[in-house]
Amino acid sequence: MPAIAAGKLARWATRLRGGGSAFPGYLTNRLAPSLLPTLAGQFPYGVLFVLGSNGKTTTTHMISEVLRAHGLTVFTNPTGANLPQGVTSALLADATLTGRVRADVAVLEVDEGYAADLADVLSPRVIVALNVQIDQLYRFFETERVADMMLDAATRASHEVIVNRDDPYLSKIDETGLRGRAVFFGASAALVQASAHGLVNATDTRSEQAGIAARAAEVEVVATSGRNVTIDFRGTPIDIMLPARGLHYAVDAAAALAAASGVLGERFEPAAAAAGFGAMAPAYGRGEVIPLAPGRDDVVEFVMFKNAPSLQLNLDALEAAPERVLMAIDEGTPDISWIYDVDFDALDHVDVVSGEKAHQVALRLAYAGVPVGTVEPDVAKAVELMRALPATANGRQSWLVNYEIMMQGRRLLGHGDQEVARR
Amino acid sequence: MSETMRIVQLYPELLGVTGDRGNVAVFETRLRAAGLDVETVRVGVGEPLPDGGIDVLVIGNGPLSAMRRVAPDLHAKREVIAAIFSAGSLVFAVGAGAELLSRGTTTIEGEHLAGLDLFPFAVTRSRERRVGYIVAESEHGQIVGFEDHAATWHLDAGAAALATVTAGGGSIGVPGAGAGESIRVGEAYATNVQGPALPLNPEWADAMLTAALARRGIDYARTREHERLDALARGARERIIALARVTQITAIGL
Ligand SMILES: [Zn+2]
Repeated sequence: MPAIAAGKLARWATRLRGGGSAFPGYLTNRLAPSLLPTLAGQFPYGVLFVLGSNGKTTTTHMISEVLRAHGLTVFTNPTGANLPQGVTSALLADATLTGRVRADVAVLEVDEGYAADLADVLSPRVIVALNVQIDQLYRFFETERVADMMLDAATRASHEVIVNRDDPYLSKIDETGLRGRAVFFGASAALVQASAHGLVNATDTRSEQAGIAARAAEVEVVATSGRNVTIDFRGTPIDIMLPARGLHYAVDAAAALAAASGVLGERFEPAAAAAGFGAMAPAYGRGEVIPLAPGRDDVVEFVMFKNAPSLQLNLDALEAAPERVLMAIDEGTPDISWIYDVDFDALDHVDVVSGEKAHQVALRLAYAGVPVGTVEPDVAKAVELMRALPATANGRQSWLVNYEIMMQGRRLLGHGDQEVARR
Repeated sequence: MSETMRIVQLYPELLGVTGDRGNVAVFETRLRAAGLDVETVRVGVGEPLPDGGIDVLVIGNGPLSAMRRVAPDLHAKREVIAAIFSAGSLVFAVGAGAELLSRGTTTIEGEHLAGLDLFPFAVTRSRERRVGYIVAESEHGQIVGFEDHAATWHLDAGAAALATVTAGGGSIGVPGAGAGESIRVGEAYATNVQGPALPLNPEWADAMLTAALARRGIDYARTREHERLDALARGARERIIALARVTQITAIGL
């Protein structure tokens, strides 16, 4: 059976790639597929999947820290290693020679394209469906396909499905088709309304109801003040501090509390959960702060985005127009048509625009009426330009960048070039 | 000058996922820079098109489900839209919006979505997706942008492509160099070029606006603001033209 499941998974991968590839052979020969279900079955608290267009990495990190704060040993896949190959090799690498896992629970961020087939192999107890947002369309072409991939995977969770009540597609989940119980999370209507562009979840283009189906949230963000938020957890308010500002992070946190509670059951403790958030360091590029140069007091705050919703939500989370701004995108984000779907009202200028797409970005900012200082495609030179600017009043610069330039920028600032496993 | 140019964007919510607001912004910004007043009306499903003169009609791109959602409303508006075409107003249609104004689209499953039959082509969707930069030669100079579609346009006899692909796939004929891209009927344009197309192709945008204004008896006066925007477009175009020849993007980023 496991061999069949892995073969199925490999075929699916081949299908997505649109032709033959070395991948199926790699999976069957090197990753011992018969071992995988055995390993997954050994986690006393089971396996948890995190799915979503945006926020997978952050939420996986949050859930892991909350579970650790409850004394659990957590296995998690390295950031971004969310395809079957990455997930399974991480799992196998962690298992001892005797084929035994050493953790109480596996918290895995999983690419939605592979979630259902991977669920057939790893049998998750809990699946978190964060959101369906307009991502790089060249990946899955149609947003509702992404929704169906998540909803299809969700049917496989044996215990609970943690669902975003504020997502048009996900809020319409068919509960009768689930093995597990649906637990809804969200943000209060007042908070969503107060957010400049709401939560930027994709419009439901296929049903008569473009917006969400009304659902009661068991876990709901009810107040935010900077990084401090209050989440109503089944009637109990939990005050937590987020690793970075923004309503989208608060919603991820609500999902994380619901997910941790799904894993822990009666063992879930609000105080321990809050402590878990307190211990969280920001992930690379998501609110992370790094000195502008060794020995300098002023810092760079990295704000990473990969598509229109993540850029919009990060811009909306700004307290005020930042004094010094770098914006940079390279070819790691091939199609940036969507930057014209983003409102740049939150910026009053950008000092330096950089990356291979510097001129495309500067052109968009020009049409948005945002003044641009310098267009410098070379990122190393752009970093020098930013360093040469006078210090700011709050000692901080904001660098709005895609993933590849975030990694390059960290390197140029003298920080490690490998995003490693989350502890 | 107090002439007001009226732009209508159809279905901005459902057909506006590939930066389609950008094409509208180009018309607005360049008309204002030329000293004109601009009024933009966004029309959604169930909302009427404004009475009276429409100078520019823009309809953008979206998924198949969105095409299905807007189709009944669009068909109900057929007479008004046909009148916009025959009046010689500027029409700019991208991707799914262009398909809805064509003879129609046949999906991979064989489903047929009828179009308004205003552009002389029919569309078949395929599994072969064309993703990446595109460069094509046209009467408006080199058209550059990004393509991301699995649509082949079959032109009626007598119809011709607006541009000939020099790098990338294209929508018309066998994908690759020599294929056709985009089509023009009078002052109506249909394209699969994204980026969005018009910020990256100011010469093309200006040709359209010159005609749209001429129809109203107004000369299009380029200014230093146009020059400023076009200098940035030039930088973006140079980069894209260089990359278009060498970049291969797979439809799934594994
Ligand atoms: Zn500045």
